[in-house]
Amino acid sequence: MSLAGKVAIVTGAGTGIGKGVAVELARRGVKVAVSYHASEAGARDTQERIAALGGESIIVRADVSCKDEIDAMAQEVAGRFGGVDILVNNAALQLNNNFDYDDETYDRLMNTNLKGYWQCIQAVVPYMKAKGAGRIILISSVHAKRPTDFDTVYAMTKGGIKMLARESAIELAKYGITVNTIEPGAVDVGKKSAKETKPFVPPEYAERAQGMRRDIRWKFPLGRTGLPSDVASLVCYIASDETAFLTGAAIRLDGGSMLL
Amino acid sequence: MQPMRLPNKVVFITDADGGSGRALMRRLAAEGAALLLNSPSNGRAVEAELEQVRQSGVRARVVSVDLCRSAEVVPMLERAAGELGPVDVLVHNNNLVVPISVETGEEDVFLQVMNANAKSAYVCAKAVGEQMAAAGRPGKIVFVSSIHAEKPTGSSFAYSASKGAVKMLAREASIVLGRRGISVNTIELGPVEGDDEVFRSDISKLYDSYRYKVPSAVLGTHDDLAELVLFLASDEARYLNGADIRMDGGFLMHYLDFKMKLPQQSEEGAR
Repeated sequence: MSLAGKVAIVTGAGTGIGKGVAVELARRGVKVAVSYHASEAGARDTQERIAALGGESIIVRADVSCKDEIDAMAQEVAGRFGGVDILVNNAALQLNNNFDYDDETYDRLMNTNLKGYWQCIQAVVPYMKAKGAGRIILISSVHAKRPTDFDTVYAMTKGGIKMLARESAIELAKYGITVNTIEPGAVDVGKKSAKETKPFVPPEYAERAQGMRRDIRWKFPLGRTGLPSDVASLVCYIASDETAFLTGAAIRLDGGSMLL
Repeated sequence: MQPMRLPNKVVFITDADGGSGRALMRRLAAEGAALLLNSPSNGRAVEAELEQVRQSGVRARVVSVDLCRSAEVVPMLERAAGELGPVDVLVHNNNLVVPISVETGEEDVFLQVMNANAKSAYVCAKAVGEQMAAAGRPGKIVFVSSIHAEKPTGSSFAYSASKGAVKMLAREASIVLGRRGISVNTIELGPVEGDDEVFRSDISKLYDSYRYKVPSAVLGTHDDLAELVLFLASDEARYLNGADIRMDGGFLMHYLDFKMKLPQQSEEGAR
């Protein structure tokens, strides 16, 4: 399952799942573009971890709600590494405004989480087309199917991503590009969740989040929440040559939590 | 005579002008509903239906607002409540299809489709949900969506993404608003006459011989849609919440076209 020598862009690679994915790809010999927007220190940390493993990476800054910045990012990565083989769309906002979005904040979330995923795909397609192959992996959420009860518009973006993935899969198949989605459940990214820390989140949500940690054994059949490394190993599998016939699939990765 | 099923219920139809809007007006008015109609043509496209329902004694108010702007929707609902009473039933049926490809699509088309179908749904659900909750009466929200909330079109990814987004909006609303006594359901409508043109695709042959992919080989109409909306809006549907009802005559059940009913010779001749 060799990925060595391939080139990947991972958005949102300064923190959490993106960081875990970037480091694991690099450990397997992938040249990684660590894409970030706000988490500059986090992106540097990702790059340092990759360097410590003897891997190769560059840091690229892009606001994925801005097409010009996305296109510039793809161009820079292709120029530096000679193409793009793998795109991991991961950068997303979760604001936990529940049903109380104003019109502008709604746009902000849609433009980042959904439009950004689409335009990152658009930006890498020319490079993948040139090679006649590509792997596009969308990090979505169990909330593409199950409502959140804490962030309506976040779930709307994930519902949109589900269809973006299916449409992209049928449209880009002719170029040898596959498009698949990972739908993680709760992933422990080593910090308190926004539900516990955001000042505008009602106390009941914080209690609920703490309750989830307390009750892990009966909320997650496998006895734990997810880790970025769980997502990373599935990303590496989907990115490999072994998944040539897999496209338009959404793989739920949640320790079985959605079954309960 | 049967009792009316929506007596004096105030129904807000978010797009009166399209084919589904006109069918909804006729059917819901016939069951005693009062109509709040958003009409981009400011009523001109529905003159015949308006005259018909008003003659039958139904109250109807026509408005023309940008559904993506809370600053227009919220005051409009307040004014309408003064005349008709607060909204009891929201039917969101905006359905803009514009071809757009993943590879070459333009951002403004993407935003146009997403806003027309999904943002309007959010803005209306939030505004109407607040009005319903304040009125303290059980309310109903029906989203008229599409089989393309699940099945890709191969012609307008923004359309299917917008319907995927509305599907999750409905599920969120079914719990957040459900606690306030509001039921929220989605209809995923399958092909009606002409959809083969609307969804013409170089990639997907979904709509080739689409009529015969419906096992009965009979396409549904907006009148079928109106019947289901009526049921979901009525008291009989009290235990339905957060449901997605696919209404496509079984169209999506086909796989690799094995199960198509072939046209009869005589039918072929008639066509």
